[in-house]
Amino acid sequence: MDNITAEHVRLTIDGISISVPKGTLVIEAARRVGVMIPHFCYHPKLKPDANCRMCLVEVERMPKLQTSCSTVATEGMTVRTATTVVHNAHKSVLEFILANHPLDCPVCDQGGKCDLQDFSHQYTATSRFAETKRIFQKEYFSPLIETQMNRCVQCLRCVRYCDEVMDVKALAPIGRGTMTEIKSFGAHPLDCEFCGGCVQICPVGAITSRLSMYEYRPWMLKRADTVCMFCGDGCQITVQTKDQELIEVNSAQGAGRNSGDLCARGFFGFRAASHPDRLTHPLIRRNGALVEATWEEALEFVAEHTKRLKLSHGPQAFGGLISGRCTNEELYLFQKFMRLTIGTNNLDSSARYGHINGVQAMRSVQGTHRWTVTFEDIVQADVLLLIGTNITEANPITGLKVKEAVKKHEATLLTIEAIQPAIGTISNISNLSKQHVCVAPSQFGAAVLGLLKAVVEGNHIDSTLRQQAPDYVSAVSQAIQQLDWEDLAVSTGVSSESFVQMAASLAGGRRVVALAGQTLLRSQGAYGVCLNLLDLLLLTGKLTAQGCGFAPLAEENNDQGAVEMGAVSALLPGVLDLTDRDARDQITRAWKEDLPVATGATLIEMIGLAQTGIIKGLFIVGENPVGSLPPQTGVKEALSKLDLLVCQELFLTETAALAHVVLPAASAMEKAGTFTNTEGHVQAVRPAIDPVGDSRPDWEILSAFSVFLGAPLEYGDAKEILKEIRAVIPGYGSLGPSPIPPAVDPAAVDRYMNEGYRRDLATRYTLPARDVRQDGTVQLGLTQSLFHSGKLSTYSTGLLQIEPSGLLQMNPVDAARLGLDAGDRVRLSNGQGKFTTTVKVLDRVPEGLAWLPDHFAQDALRLFDCVVDPDTKVPSYRTASVSVVKTA
Amino acid sequence: MESLEGKRGLPRIKPPFPATHGLYNKPTVVNNIETLANLPYIVGRGPEWFASIGSPPKSTGTRVFCVSGHVKQPGNYEVPMGVTFRELIYEHAGGMRSDKPLKAFIPGGASAPFLTPSHLDVKLDFESVAAAGSMLGSGGVTVMEEGTDMVWAALRLMEFFYHESCGKCSPCREGSSWLVQTMRRIVAKRGQMQDLETLVDLCKNIEGRTVCAFGDASVAPIMSTLKHWRPEYVTLIQEAESANLIKLEPAGVRH
Repeated sequence: MDNITAEHVRLTIDGISISVPKGTLVIEAARRVGVMIPHFCYHPKLKPDANCRMCLVEVERMPKLQTSCSTVATEGMTVRTATTVVHNAHKSVLEFILANHPLDCPVCDQGGKCDLQDFSHQYTATSRFAETKRIFQKEYFSPLIETQMNRCVQCLRCVRYCDEVMDVKALAPIGRGTMTEIKSFGAHPLDCEFCGGCVQICPVGAITSRLSMYEYRPWMLKRADTVCMFCGDGCQITVQTKDQELIEVNSAQGAGRNSGDLCARGFFGFRAASHPDRLTHPLIRRNGALVEATWEEALEFVAEHTKRLKLSHGPQAFGGLISGRCTNEELYLFQKFMRLTIGTNNLDSSARYGHINGVQAMRSVQGTHRWTVTFEDIVQADVLLLIGTNITEANPITGLKVKEAVKKHEATLLTIEAIQPAIGTISNISNLSKQHVCVAPSQFGAAVLGLLKAVVEGNHIDSTLRQQAPDYVSAVSQAIQQLDWEDLAVSTGVSSESFVQMAASLAGGRRVVALAGQTLLRSQGAYGVCLNLLDLLLLTGKLTAQGCGFAPLAEENNDQGAVEMGAVSALLPGVLDLTDRDARDQITRAWKEDLPVATGATLIEMIGLAQTGIIKGLFIVGENPVGSLPPQTGVKEALSKLDLLVCQELFLTETAALAHVVLPAASAMEKAGTFTNTEGHVQAVRPAIDPVGDSRPDWEILSAFSVFLGAPLEYGDAKEILKEIRAVIPGYGSLGPSPIPPAVDPAAVDRYMNEGYRRDLATRYTLPARDVRQDGTVQLGLTQSLFHSGKLSTYSTGLLQIEPSGLLQMNPVDAARLGLDAGDRVRLSNGQGKFTTTVKVLDRVPEGLAWLPDHFAQDALRLFDCVVDPDTKVPSYRTASVSVVKTA
Repeated sequence: MESLEGKRGLPRIKPPFPATHGLYNKPTVVNNIETLANLPYIVGRGPEWFASIGSPPKSTGTRVFCVSGHVKQPGNYEVPMGVTFRELIYEHAGGMRSDKPLKAFIPGGASAPFLTPSHLDVKLDFESVAAAGSMLGSGGVTVMEEGTDMVWAALRLMEFFYHESCGKCSPCREGSSWLVQTMRRIVAKRGQMQDLETLVDLCKNIEGRTVCAFGDASVAPIMSTLKHWRPEYVTLIQEAESANLIKLEPAGVRH
């Protein structure tokens, strides 16, 4: 009780008494009692700047009016906000702010949602200002963001947001006094992360989005709160539409897991759904060409050929592939369709490209398929270990949580990534690291072993664990002792001291979260590295402790859902092993039908089976294996051999172009359902517009197939499927505002420490093969770009304006060594092929490496070897050694 | 401190004060050179010696006053605190330039309100000057002789404040530009009677509502000249009205 009163203070605002936590600002305390104090520069996300002076209030025993945004509530304080003095002060400050304002509301996009407009109405403000208004020269600002500095009230929210929250520092006030204006650095258009934060946070119409310029008034728009369709962060977005037109996306302050923050993809990427190339009619291949057809014809075509193939070749002649961008309901129905209607476990999803590595590792060691931590735990962590994730580009909003932990709460950030700290136009997480080790992606495993060795040798092993599992501890210790520091130093390029230091920081942490990203999860041997990372947490006692845990980051918005819904060959809904008899019985009872028992083929295996003619029919939902996999996997030839290839797609992709039937699918903007984000939080997806053309949601198409095949899986709407999912998966929770993470299963950890580790410890604790690099070559890596995600973003006009093509990003030293300048055309080649692209010189790329953005690398894939993980069957093709030659 | 840290020179919000959170968030003491220059003597000769000079209890020691304007010998004069302005101006600085009567003086830099000849016997110490309605401030004494246009003088000072306003907070940023424009208009004989009321209002609206003391300071010249020499403003405006120069349309009519 004492504790509670010590942390709270009681104050009176306009006669209302309220108790607030110590440190609360008066403006926030007032909000709690329903008193809205007008303000421009204050924002809950930002440190108070008290520059607009709009929020002045009377505080008893203080001679002058105080700015409530910078005054901390104290015990016994009496605040008055509704006196004549305060009212006159507000009115006078408003008069000042209005003095130089152009009053061009009729042509201002902010009109109708403008703080200045609202307060002017509230205070019936008129201005006696009869002098000449200051005018700023209009300058071109950027392709996506428009500035109109005459409207600016100099509250500096945009500048502060860009620095404090985003850590980008792209904006700055230039000039003095009334001539203060917001500009970007340098004499060129804005070049930044384009998170749209400045547009969202501007209280007036000074910074607006060009995508929707002059198109609407806020009251004309219909709003739908839904979830972003790009990465696994699962940000809540509000999609605003006028009739059937997508006008704008934003996110309300504090809303969703992103608490209102977005990245370029979320803020500017929404037009992908309304691209003119969208498929609007079913297509059937007739005489070698895809021609428009009716839904009836298309469905009948699919049913007829499916029945025929099933009759002559059995259910094992079919396979299915679904995108991790579909809703949970669609993923669930897809696997049910494949397992029941078709009768095969040959099914897979895009979680196979890497996410499954992290999930399977968590299952093996801690017995969960979800994180045991949440975004809040990241913010509150005192030590964060980031490995293989250029988080600010791959998962920008999770990245914001890391930035918040470091910048606001002084967490110790440790990073292992193939990136160099460097100031650039977009943020670089290694700039915030307490300790950063730059390691090539192929050697992440070696770096984790280095950490493990330092933990063992530095005696950082948790003492209770020593007693609890002496065999495990000694086996790990012995295995790690076999490694030599010198070998580790050669592999990683990092000294033993660095590992020792990093291990000490990790072991000294109270709340430790280890985040693993796609650069790791999609690399060769990633499953083993994830297990080793879990060993690291387990040994240091950070696996089970409060606020600690392992967090593999999902690349696609519903990779996690794909695994949970059983849309991977070996797993049933609820992430139960297909081989587990109890699990099978449980699903059989729920579905009232027997499941196929034969082991299913995974992505790469299905391609092999299609190649050999065993698989004859393939259902592909939203996936594009021909565009995603390197050609040497033989994917194109394999799919060309099929008797029936059915694609449900938004666009005519390389894969859909080979199909016998292409069915137009509705995008996430046009359907209802749920997505599960990277932290395992299930969130509602709501339609913002009607399906484009004749397109239908994927679940409806699957349901229609089943009806035409005579084994109906019928549902009235997506909610009915969700209801069934809840019945099938015990404890599949309701949609709350934040996730309730599972706890580590002690029985699973015991199993792991008693025998689980034995299976592969020896192989996991050996150094990965080193890259042999010859002169004139660089190690080419595929990277995730901030401005693109998946196959959809390349249809987004907004994002294409920021990054229209994939450039080869190289370190200046390498570029100089190879005689290259920015903008030069170069040919990359190795034994497997060649690829021509343009050079971009970038300080953050480590020497000896070169990056190519994933989403433009389709034609470069032939340079990469594809290695399939023996345990998780993940195809890895992320690095290749190539020679770089300048072309004329 | 902001500049030392490589940032724009903008005021910080206080509290916290520099004594606890100053340069790079470390406790910092900020002092004038004048204060530091006194230290060796206080340390060397003892505080009693220092306190024996000047005008106790608060204004002890000597101060350097920089006398400028219409005097015979402008310059820096170190005098014990507590001498009168009459002594400083007429004895040390040699009296008025062309022996014209004194019309006005600023006792302590641009931010200190103007004083009149009736204040010549005020003592140069903190309490006395404050009681006379001004402040000793920086010790920059500017003297003006009879015939000086006080409206112009106020405008000249306002131009300085307008130029120096950093632009961080709205009242000072917008107010200084507004005030300077109105003053320019009055001096250019395009003023209106209601401008005077607006000037006073604006000054009151800036005072006490800004982040730093610069806002309070910037209204001093206009407020004090309006207090002591209001007729000069009125004359200018009446001349404007009689000359019937084009009148400004009231704000809000134009579209």
